[in-house]
Amino acid sequence: MTLTAPAPTDTSAARSGDIQLSGLTKQYGSSTALNAIDLHIPAGSLTVVVGPSGCGKSTLLRVLSGLETATRGDLLIGGQPVANQRAGDRDVAMVFQDYALYPHMSVAANLSFGLRLQARHDRRSGPSKSEIAERVASVAALLGLDALLTRKPSQLSGGQRQRVALGRAIIRRPQVLLLDEPLSALDSQLRASARAEILRLHREIGATLVLVTHDQHEALSMATHLVVMDAGTVAQSGSAEELFHAPATEFVATFVGSPAMNLMNTIDGAGRTGWRATDAVLDSDTSSPPAGGLTVSGITEMCEFTGDGQQVTVRSGDSTFTLIQRDGERWLRVGDPVRATIPPGRLHHFDTNGHRRNAS
Amino acid sequence: MRAADTTLATRPRRGLGGIAWHLVLAGVSLAMIFPVLWGILTSFKPANEIYSLSPLPAAPTLDNYAHALTEWPVGLLVGNTFVMAAGVAIGQLLIAILGAFALAYFTPRARPLVLTLLTISLAMPPQALIIPQFLMTAKLDWLNTDLGLIVPQLGSSALAVLLLLQHVDGMPVSLLNAARLDGAKPWESLWHIVLPALRPAIAAVTILVFITTWNDYLWPLLVAPRQIDTTVQIGLRQFETAEGTNFGGLLAAATLTSLPILAVYLVASRRITDAFLQSGIK
Repeated sequence: MTLTAPAPTDTSAARSGDIQLSGLTKQYGSSTALNAIDLHIPAGSLTVVVGPSGCGKSTLLRVLSGLETATRGDLLIGGQPVANQRAGDRDVAMVFQDYALYPHMSVAANLSFGLRLQARHDRRSGPSKSEIAERVASVAALLGLDALLTRKPSQLSGGQRQRVALGRAIIRRPQVLLLDEPLSALDSQLRASARAEILRLHREIGATLVLVTHDQHEALSMATHLVVMDAGTVAQSGSAEELFHAPATEFVATFVGSPAMNLMNTIDGAGRTGWRATDAVLDSDTSSPPAGGLTVSGITEMCEFTGDGQQVTVRSGDSTFTLIQRDGERWLRVGDPVRATIPPGRLHHFDTNGHRRNAS
Repeated sequence: MRAADTTLATRPRRGLGGIAWHLVLAGVSLAMIFPVLWGILTSFKPANEIYSLSPLPAAPTLDNYAHALTEWPVGLLVGNTFVMAAGVAIGQLLIAILGAFALAYFTPRARPLVLTLLTISLAMPPQALIIPQFLMTAKLDWLNTDLGLIVPQLGSSALAVLLLLQHVDGMPVSLLNAARLDGAKPWESLWHIVLPALRPAIAAVTILVFITTWNDYLWPLLVAPRQIDTTVQIGLRQFETAEGTNFGGLLAAATLTSLPILAVYLVASRRITDAFLQSGIK
């Protein structure tokens, strides 16, 4: 729905790592996985594509990589049309969800596989043996794999496998690095360090990273550019702050941010009004409510302790809303009456089609 | 009751049921092994004991072996058989590797059709094909040649193709995709990624085809009936003479020529068990 600004302003359109999709459609038989997508992925960004399962985000990644060809539409990478280029010729690398390490090759052989093929295909301008060894060493150093180079993938832990997969993807110095749910195979403890690893790598290699996830929390925390997909289309793209504070549609509003944005029908029936759980100010006896806001009230139905506060589900008539309060003096209990006011600047208005109609 | 329920599932079977089960297995094994054992024992019997019902030879002799080794062209026949079995095994393997890889990697539109045709060719009795195959071989002037023994048998590669295809299909798709993104051309994916992963399956298929071909009777009988061109299984008929059959020599020769197969079996018994279990045939 929302079109981002076209090519970046500082250089000509042909900047390395810049990705431009226009009218990109992918159909499998009669079902449409990607529906006329217009999207710009800025060079050097860490773009996170997020959406519920089946929204087309994995298909998007496969079309970018060249593993699938688009049914219609244009795809430019670094200003070059790549629709007719083979997967290996696009200067695009990918980290697979299951890492896809070659099981019978050592870590060093896994890392160097692409370079060795390149050397064989093009003996004149391909990398020499010493250059390959050098690049394996530098990638191993960058990812802390020096001690593991002779091991087989089966002898590695999950986190180590992921680092090998990252290393194998960046060793050819691609313009674009695609990551398909790179954290989903790791346990929650490893995730934080793997996330930091990806962020560090992004800073150091300067390539465009496109990361697909279904975890909106991961998306918000990592993205310099966030793309929310819904049913084969781009619902909104922009910075994480932009999407969080000014969601373009009800879908984006409820998908991005946790807990999901509260939505209620407006009195005139001309759409819905939403607010974030953290934006509600509990009415107390001592302070008067902010003027002009939306006031909601109900009975506390569920309280979840979150450490520094409480996530409270409040029943109001036949609907519920969620709010978060951090006033340790006044913990709410189930059954307590609640009245809260949302300041006018924190309200989001959507029309009957679910599109944003805020002036802000 | 409850105790019995839990132990039945967790402990290996003991007691009466277990004994009965082992008796059945022992009986089946004995039935399988008895003719082989009888043949080996008989090969040590002198001519006058051949029809005796005592299993053990009263006066064991190596005469039969001496006869088989001197009067019978054992080296020539084993050599012929080996060339045929190895040729068919290698040929079928090449077809199966390339066919299975092409079907899995390129997933051609005709893949379901090809699979159906392969399965039909498995269901077709070989006897139904043998006359046209024989006529073609004769027209090519391949009778009594290694080519005639080998090439027509490559037509029955369906089982090998299907067995390998099952293994290629079982590989994670992402492995082949990763190789594509690493810039691997199709044959490089085959050589560097698929073949190493298929090694056990390839070993199993090779052994399976080798043993089946080694034991084949009908085709060499038709194509290479001449004594010097034929295989072990047909050569054994030379012990049937006008004066009657020399069973001692026949069984000695059969025992001798089973040794290569036995050796293959001892080296790779687990692989062979796998191969036969996977193929679903006996």
